[in-house]
Amino acid sequence: MSELEIEAFDAVGERTRPPYATVAQRLDQDSRFRDVLDRLVGISERDYYNPYRLFEWPRSLPQDRYWMTPELMAEHCTEAGSALTEPQLYAVSKWQSINFYSLNVHGIRGLLNGLIARIHTADFAVPSAYFHHIIGEENEHMWFFAEFCLRYGGKIYPARSMSLAEPGIPAADHFLVFARLLIFEELVDVFNQRMAKDERLDPTIRKLNEVHHRDESRHIAFGRQIVAMLHADLAQRIDEAGLRTLESHLKRYMRTSVEGLCEPLVYRDAGVPEPYAMRRRLLADPAYPGYVERLLRRSISFLTGAGIFTSGLFEAPAAIGASR
Amino acid sequence: MTARTADFDAILGYLELKYRQAGQLDPGQPEPALAPDYDLIENRVIDSLEFVEFVLLVEEHSGREISIDLLSREDFRTLESIRKRFFDDP
Repeated sequence: MSELEIEAFDAVGERTRPPYATVAQRLDQDSRFRDVLDRLVGISERDYYNPYRLFEWPRSLPQDRYWMTPELMAEHCTEAGSALTEPQLYAVSKWQSINFYSLNVHGIRGLLNGLIARIHTADFAVPSAYFHHIIGEENEHMWFFAEFCLRYGGKIYPARSMSLAEPGIPAADHFLVFARLLIFEELVDVFNQRMAKDERLDPTIRKLNEVHHRDESRHIAFGRQIVAMLHADLAQRIDEAGLRTLESHLKRYMRTSVEGLCEPLVYRDAGVPEPYAMRRRLLADPAYPGYVERLLRRSISFLTGAGIFTSGLFEAPAAIGASR
Repeated sequence: MTARTADFDAILGYLELKYRQAGQLDPGQPEPALAPDYDLIENRVIDSLEFVEFVLLVEEHSGREISIDLLSREDFRTLESIRKRFFDDP
């Protein structure tokens, strides 16, 4: 068993525990959770590195090769994608990669906001020591992703999302913050793991992805633990209809996260005609739902195993009272 | 009809559809008018997850690149504020 393989979370056992008065009590009284935190803090301290001296940053990257693994691009295996020439695909892959790292920059900003709002508060006294490591590491990730975008794309693509109406379940605030962070980190990690090893990509790109994957595997291990615990806690505080509302919300969040990879400004910068129509064609392509499910497979499997999802990504939650 | 009006009509059509869905009206029920000062955010015609799709539609039809950093939710709160911010000439 590797140092990051955390024992599978026993969602059923967790749900049958007696309710705790507060989230703090639940986190405090779980000895396994404390052990996981100690291990993760230990690994973060041991593997600490200086990101500002880690990369060589060549003056430019070659334009006549892929900047992203083509099989991970939304255009792959679609009708609109197959109409692109090889030079067009290289250009799309370049701007897709700038968009991918831009999404990371904006996603990390949201992640940091969520953690900073909770560190050393009463509910999160127990994991706060590890929050310091996540915040520090994410700050560094944000720096190297922004550096890549500015050096090789001359810009960071603009943020598109804004926080408006939430599902309207105040008791679920903590759960939703950590669930969205986990989904975001797992989605990014699918790209990182593959691109770190893809020899068609420039070594600078491979290294960026490899370094990020190393840190993220710890954040994901932590995220899975806390998301399952917070959901088990919530299941004892709100009714089943509320849980189904949250399930629907997270599924929509997952689908819209992948849609962010079909950014019209990417197609505009790559010289693809009618960039907004290009996005619509990709989202409507028969291959697109399979692409979404492939990227999110690991997250779907975890969320289903933890009892958070009761049906498939594109399906409505199971009827209330139905057995899981 | 000017090109500008036609562009704004695309936004109006999208929001009226969402308004109908948010109100869960029966298909046969007559379309209620979406008032220019109706609060689209408070009444969940657009929510956080719907927002990116809506921003791209406004961007496409207004021809103005949208960076959320430079805007506030007030710019999207009503039909009137959307028209004023993105479709009226500066």
